[in-house]
Amino acid sequence: MIQIRKVTEKVGLIVSFIILMSFAQNVKAQDGKALFTANCASCHSVHKDMTGPALEGVESRWPDRAHIIAWVHNSSKVIASGDKYATDLFAKWKTPMTHFEGVLSDKDVDAILDYVKVEGAKKPEAGAAASATQGAGAQSDNTLLYVVLTCVLAIVAIILLQVNSSLKRLSNKKEGHPVIGPIPFYRNKKFIAVVAILIFIYIGYWLASGAIGLGHSQNYEPKQPIFYSHKVHAGINQINCLYCHTNAQYSRHATIPSVNVCMNCHMAITEYTGPKLFTAEGEEVDGSAEIQKLYKYAGYVQGQPWDASKAKPIEWVRIHELPDHVYFNHSQHVMVGKVQCQTCHGDITKMDEVKQFAPLSMGWCINCHRTTDVQFKDNGFYSIYQKYHEGLKNGTIDSAKGITVEMIGGTECQKCHY
Amino acid sequence: MRMKKLSVIALIFISGATLVSCGSGVRRDPGHVYMPDMFYSRAYETYAQRDSTQFTENEAEAGRKIFYNNQPVAGTIAAGEDLPFPLAKDATGDTTNYVASKALANPEGPLTADQTTEIHRLYLINCGICHGAKMDGNGPLYNDGNGPFAAAPKNLLGDAVVLKMPEGQMFYSIEYGKGMMGSYASQLSRKQRWQLVHYIKARQHQAEGIPVDPADVADSTALAATN
Repeated sequence: MIQIRKVTEKVGLIVSFIILMSFAQNVKAQDGKALFTANCASCHSVHKDMTGPALEGVESRWPDRAHIIAWVHNSSKVIASGDKYATDLFAKWKTPMTHFEGVLSDKDVDAILDYVKVEGAKKPEAGAAASATQGAGAQSDNTLLYVVLTCVLAIVAIILLQVNSSLKRLSNKKEGHPVIGPIPFYRNKKFIAVVAILIFIYIGYWLASGAIGLGHSQNYEPKQPIFYSHKVHAGINQINCLYCHTNAQYSRHATIPSVNVCMNCHMAITEYTGPKLFTAEGEEVDGSAEIQKLYKYAGYVQGQPWDASKAKPIEWVRIHELPDHVYFNHSQHVMVGKVQCQTCHGDITKMDEVKQFAPLSMGWCINCHRTTDVQFKDNGFYSIYQKYHEGLKNGTIDSAKGITVEMIGGTECQKCHY
Repeated sequence: MRMKKLSVIALIFISGATLVSCGSGVRRDPGHVYMPDMFYSRAYETYAQRDSTQFTENEAEAGRKIFYNNQPVAGTIAAGEDLPFPLAKDATGDTTNYVASKALANPEGPLTADQTTEIHRLYLINCGICHGAKMDGNGPLYNDGNGPFAAAPKNLLGDAVVLKMPEGQMFYSIEYGKGMMGSYASQLSRKQRWQLVHYIKARQHQAEGIPVDPADVADSTALAATN
């Protein structure tokens, strides 16, 4: 009995030791990832060339790990020693690698190389494309169905009308009433009157809507030189509107970002991997090819340092345009009024191609000025409206109703026309 | 009588359907305007194309045509703006000025409570997308390596190099970019950039448990509110 217990104790010890060892192994593999993310990932990716080369297969490019460790610790020393591969590497990438002497031990570099080996064997994910296939087909159009239904109903109605009239004629004949010859429908006075009224209404509607629509481009959705999707940028990737349209805070114009703002992210983002993109007509768009169009404008060749002075502006097509006799200021609305971009530009985070959401008519502006409350509280811009502040304090102005833009002169002609 | 009613109903229905069907489709055309000479500006508006027979952006043609390139005269400093950064951008592969920038002091005074809130807002718009709202180097674009941006942004509160980085060098990186990060000189003014450096330093001290330097942020209650 005692012997058996001793044996089981020993076996138990060994088993727990093995388990512990395997845990330790796990910790080491994870360490590699953590070390890679903390120290290398800013400049190196496993699969992609960035500031430095992709690390996939790095061990096949160097003679052994000792050389790599020497390079990581102090790349300048390796270059100075005249190592052919090292000097070529520096000549190609031109950016000296940070020295990790004292930061990463030999074991740390080993762990990172192990991680790179494991990660490099995996193929870069193509999962995003699969998840994106649904979406386009789901929204079918019901218009055709309605048109067919209308036609069928109209035909049935005409047949019934004819049956009705011939039956009436037959019954008249039977009862001995004088039979009036069938009047063709186009000479039927009531029919002519109805048609005339309908044509009048139709032309009137067409003329009036055309006249009102002159100078208003609601729903205008032009083709742009690059298929830039606001849905991908502002929606999926949560980039703030003001990241690109910086001057909406400071200027009359929201301004279109220059190419260098695009390149802030697109130096590293060279391929599109999100859900499939479609134009408004339903044609599929290759996102990665659109990024290549950007590189053409930027004068950027992948794998080489980018010279911003070679960039050419992209000629985006202007969508929102107010007449010259209207003054509109973005900063006034965005910073002082604290109006959300979406109030006037619609659900921009869901638009692949941007279209003009608001009619931008004078009535639309005025309506908003009549109903919108000014944010008086803690807003330095409105501190000079002392009368209103006092009124709010002593109750002569209903603070629940607030002060509309109209009350501070927001519907005066000269506010926008001068 | 009945059939007349029916015919009226049918006709209204048909014309209604045609009216509706005319309104569908993608609008690729902006339409027309009343009196284009009053609608479109006579003056050259932002982004408007200039007449290339009269204007040029090429300085060499300045005598024959009107030279105008939308740039302020070299050396112009906007009212209230800080003086230009004295160091030029390093040539590729060189780090002389990057190292020299360590010695430069922050010309901006300590942030007031209002400035702290404003700079925090600007941080979230311009930096948070990569460096994360919590400054942990894990913004939505990187997202633990699952986002589209492949390079890991620096963890501003946890990376030893960034924690030790002097303010001048931090400014250099924002001014000219570093590694995969681009220059933010077109999105933030010099004043805002220097203030941003103050703000990041203060947040770093806070995270490390070191008292915040009163030269960075004067009012630490406003700073705490931005966490």
